[in-house]
Amino acid sequence: MGNLLEHMGVERDRVHFSWISSAEATKFVDVVKEISEKVRALGPNKKFVKDYN
Amino acid sequence: MDTCIQKIRELAADLLERGEVEKVIGFAQGTIPMATSPISVGTKQGVDNLVFNSTCGLNLANFASRQKGKIAIIAKGCDCRNIVTHIVENQLQRDQVYIIGVPCNGMVNKFKIAALFEDEITGFAEDGDTLTVSSSSQTKTLKKQEYLRENCLLCTHKNPVLYDVLAGDLVKEQVLENAFPDVDKIEAMDVDGRWQYFKRLTQNCIRCYACRNACPICYCPTCFVDEAGPQWVGKGQNKTDVDTFHFLRAFHCAGRCTDCGACVEACPMGINVRDFTRKLNKDALELFGWEAGLDISKRPPLDAYSPQDPDDFIK
Amino acid sequence: MKFITIDKKDWTKGIDNSRKTYQLFGPVKDENGCKIIKLDTNVLPDMDYHESVLSAKSVLFPQTETILTTSLNESVEDHHIMKRAKNDYTPRAVLGIRPYDAKAIGLVKLNFDTKEYREPYWCDAYEATTFVGLGITRPGPFDFSTSVGCGPFCEEGLDILLADLDDKFLAKVLTPKGEAYAAACGFDTPADDKESQALFDILRKEAEKNIATSVDTGNLKEKNLLDLHEAPFWDDVAFACINCGTCTYVCPTCWCFDIQDEAKLKESARFRNWDTCMSPLFTRHATGHNPRGAKVQRVRQRFMHKLKYFLDKYDQGIMCVGCGRCVKSCPVNIDIRKVAHTMNTYEKKD
Repeated sequence: MGNLLEHMGVERDRVHFSWISSAEATKFVDVVKEISEKVRALGPNKKFVKDYN
Repeated sequence: MDTCIQKIRELAADLLERGEVEKVIGFAQGTIPMATSPISVGTKQGVDNLVFNSTCGLNLANFASRQKGKIAIIAKGCDCRNIVTHIVENQLQRDQVYIIGVPCNGMVNKFKIAALFEDEITGFAEDGDTLTVSSSSQTKTLKKQEYLRENCLLCTHKNPVLYDVLAGDLVKEQVLENAFPDVDKIEAMDVDGRWQYFKRLTQNCIRCYACRNACPICYCPTCFVDEAGPQWVGKGQNKTDVDTFHFLRAFHCAGRCTDCGACVEACPMGINVRDFTRKLNKDALELFGWEAGLDISKRPPLDAYSPQDPDDFIK
Repeated sequence: MKFITIDKKDWTKGIDNSRKTYQLFGPVKDENGCKIIKLDTNVLPDMDYHESVLSAKSVLFPQTETILTTSLNESVEDHHIMKRAKNDYTPRAVLGIRPYDAKAIGLVKLNFDTKEYREPYWCDAYEATTFVGLGITRPGPFDFSTSVGCGPFCEEGLDILLADLDDKFLAKVLTPKGEAYAAACGFDTPADDKESQALFDILRKEAEKNIATSVDTGNLKEKNLLDLHEAPFWDDVAFACINCGTCTYVCPTCWCFDIQDEAKLKESARFRNWDTCMSPLFTRHATGHNPRGAKVQRVRQRFMHKLKYFLDKYDQGIMCVGCGRCVKSCPVNIDIRKVAHTMNTYEKKD
């Protein structure tokens, strides 16, 4: 799914997949930090956002 | 292919006469040039209505499923692959269907041919590799090979993969140096270029859903765009809703699409809907070594787990 | 009614003049074919096109149209009260439409503008619109308009009918709306009435001669509705159908729509979208029951509505103008001419 979104022109770093157990709190923090940084670097998303009217 | 129609009719008549099948599903000549229409023939006399030519671009697999009794189906390479998919996905039992396989030399690109003429096409005839197409103002002789559909040009499974009988001699399969030049072309664009490409691709979509309904693997009883309680996707011409339909439909075809081209064939606006599914076909091949519909004993890759499945996208 | 001549050298200038007071719509070609859309100020209508995939119905009846809006912000007065959307109903002109599309608008009007109800969105758009048609000198192979009360030079529903005479257009100005539009363009070179009419008659006859197919609908009126409804041929007609909406969306006379509410943050709107009797969702009740749950019922509905119910209800002919778009665009080649013939010749067997 990430590949197809990327193919359609949605930046790769906007879509992330992870598998985190409820016991892996530190991994969760690390992943969320990484995602936040990558998405922030890309700026606001304008693709696949429904314009209204 | 001209000769195979005689064979198809003989086989169909024989099957119906012997009571081996109740119906034969194939194509009938259309009422306008370059058109054929799926037909169900139930009597021996009816077999003369069957035709097979370069304009049988739709896929008959969906017409075979959910029929009562045993049926025979006239199936070119891609139809056979979709029959395999239907069997694997429990839409059809192998013993319910008698497959009359037709080795295929490709179907013609109707939009490409129509674009050669300023006015409407009034006549279409084919003789081997030569097409004679006429409009009210001119007649052109074309080489079929140059006017094949894009999916046919890239087809490596012209011969039926599963059949009970063949209606013609097997044809030579082509070996491609690059099976996905069209995908590569899009991949070579930058991220915004790709976004613009797809934006333009679907700009004239009217959401008639002909692509979905012609698709042999789009058989969900209720498609996600038709979910109404609650509704999943906006139903208007909003661009994001239109693209959501195309994107999710394509993704639902991941690892199942045989690139039969029925979606493009059916689209009244001439949109190359395959641009979505082709990327997934390429991924299926590169990541899973998978081409859909070749083997009734194998589950599609997104349907089964293997420890070898690529997982580097998961953090 | 009067005739004027428009030199093609003056065409662009005249059209641009009219942009001051009219929004323009017209045929435009792109890689997917030709359709009739709102023209940007630098775009001219393509007057050489042969046929458009979609009809001109969207000029009055867009595929998606906002009809009502409201605010969900409770601090605003009238929040949650749906009010009519501020759509633009200033004068508009649609250029170069085919006579069958204009006739179709008249048929759609029967539904949207009745004695009891006036559908405001369609009717307001209709009243704002001037229809400038272009006679068809070379009808395509799918055109069967002459056999359904229309034709390549049919004037019904048009305000101006143009005939293409290579270096100029001959215009037959049919209504005051048409006169106003010609004046806005500055087209005022008079042509001789008698000669011009004679020329139109010749062109019409020539064009009509080139219409190769016809459909006979003469018996439909007296056929028993239930007999047709119960007739055994519908299974065969419907077999090939994939139940897409192509035929209804390309049809200039199909008017069915669906209403949708959408909201984003504090703004909400009600839209109407084209809908199609080919879709199961079209008739599915909230209970889940679907009176037209099977494909064959939906296919039958389309043809019965066009060729029988409409005829019986309004007595204004069938709901088809013979443009042939559905014949051409149908992915499985279900041909309304063939179905009409089957219905027209059907005799119930006892």
